[in-house]
Amino acid sequence: MQYALLIYEDEALYGPGKKGPAIQTIVSRHMAFNRELGAKRVGGSGLSATSAATTIRTKGGTQSVHDGPYAESKEQLGGFYLIEARDLDEAIAIAKKVPVLQDGSIEIRPVLGPG
Amino acid sequence: MSGAALERVFRAASGRIIGALAARFRDLALAEDAFAEACARALEDWPAREVPVDTAAWLYQVAVRIALDALRRRRTHTEYESLLSAGVDAQTDPDDDLSAIPDERLRLIFICCHPAVSLDARVALTLRLVCGISTLEIARAFLVPEATMAQRLTRAKGKISQAGVPFELPASTSWPERLQAVLATIEIAYAKAHEDAAAHGPHSHFSAEMLELSGTLAQLMPREPEPAALAAMIRYAEARRPARVDEAGVMVPLSEQDPQRWRRALIDEADGYLVRAMEEDSKAIRVVQAKIHAVWCARRSLEAPPPWIQVLSLYDELLCLREDPVVRLNRLVALAEVNGVDIALSQLEGMDPELLGEFAPFHAVRADLLRRAGHDDAARAAYDEALARISSTAERLWLTQQRRMVSDAGG
Repeated sequence: MQYALLIYEDEALYGPGKKGPAIQTIVSRHMAFNRELGAKRVGGSGLSATSAATTIRTKGGTQSVHDGPYAESKEQLGGFYLIEARDLDEAIAIAKKVPVLQDGSIEIRPVLGPG
Repeated sequence: MSGAALERVFRAASGRIIGALAARFRDLALAEDAFAEACARALEDWPAREVPVDTAAWLYQVAVRIALDALRRRRTHTEYESLLSAGVDAQTDPDDDLSAIPDERLRLIFICCHPAVSLDARVALTLRLVCGISTLEIARAFLVPEATMAQRLTRAKGKISQAGVPFELPASTSWPERLQAVLATIEIAYAKAHEDAAAHGPHSHFSAEMLELSGTLAQLMPREPEPAALAAMIRYAEARRPARVDEAGVMVPLSEQDPQRWRRALIDEADGYLVRAMEEDSKAIRVVQAKIHAVWCARRSLEAPPPWIQVLSLYDELLCLREDPVVRLNRLVALAEVNGVDIALSQLEGMDPELLGEFAPFHAVRADLLRRAGHDDAARAAYDEALARISSTAERLWLTQQRRMVSDAGG
């Protein structure tokens, strides 16, 4: 079995744009954890702050682009893709093709780069 | 040069210079800061010496050096080297062709108007970076404190850089959505200027900026119908401004405005844009919208009959292209004139109040139809609903006047 571990924290702890000093602390703790996981780690990454998030909403067959993260309502997290895209426009174009059965949202968040 | 004259020079150069800097350094905040610093140096430098012949070129060259200095301080040596190899030259010879500021305004507009930035922030960012309007002025227009607006602008610039909004013109796959976002942004910015009929409000001078910006956009995208149509619409609407309010400050409805007070030169300019737009696509939504303005602006005097029949058929055409409750509402105003108040009223009562219940014009149209149909009590109640939601003084005065007509007739 493979399992996804989804990390929920108050991002304000890491300062605006997740650029505060606490980010160094947590990154080194994650690195230690990664060493401990060894081969059990399949993949993973930090995500940039929700201030960089864009959400594609599908409602009644119509898609629309919104600033900001997915606002929790009646849907639940059902999966994720990690993609390589040239820029936000390409990421949006790909996100629009992610299948949802009826209504749903796809949140786009850049992964945290090195440094 | 006086302070006010300098302000005008800076504002006029803003979009062009920030656009060129942003395209070159791929950093909106850096571009804006470097331009602001260049303006500050001009304030010190120009009064002391001679004002340069090409002020924009001077500002651009100085801003480029400021940006490069900032990068040198901020970045590691490797990053700076890679910037240099990417064509960002460190030394700019002041004797270079000073008039050659690359025109990157279109790119700047597309960056500021990206659909992943919230609409309010897009409008503010476009006014700030493309039109050079100060944060304080934008804050006044949005009725928020300056600090709040400054924060909103900073957040929007941060989003653009962190989320990876491209600094290139959009690829064909995302072109329609990106272009619609640009047009919607300019429409909202103009609506802010236009909603105040008396033109005394804090946004009134934005309209001049929107005239220019929409013209620039149409010029930069000559093969697209909707930018030309938008340029036409803004010109038609601006042309009518002198007649929108009477001497007492009361709004004058379009059909009662004296066409001789409209600015004919601006209407001619609008006609030119509309012809161009129609050559590209006469069935695009904004092209049909512009035709409605054109039909009104073709009226030469109050003696000439209002063009209700043409207006009605254009609204029908528009509804075939896209269902829109506001278009439907406007259509009913024309329908009442062509086919009678009762038919219009029955169609209005059939509309979903959920869609337009908070929209002041919905209640104003409903009140007018009820009054003309002789339903006095219902009309008075509808006027009250409209008055509770209206923000412009000129329209409030007009609605109050209309409501009084019911009281007079009904007792």
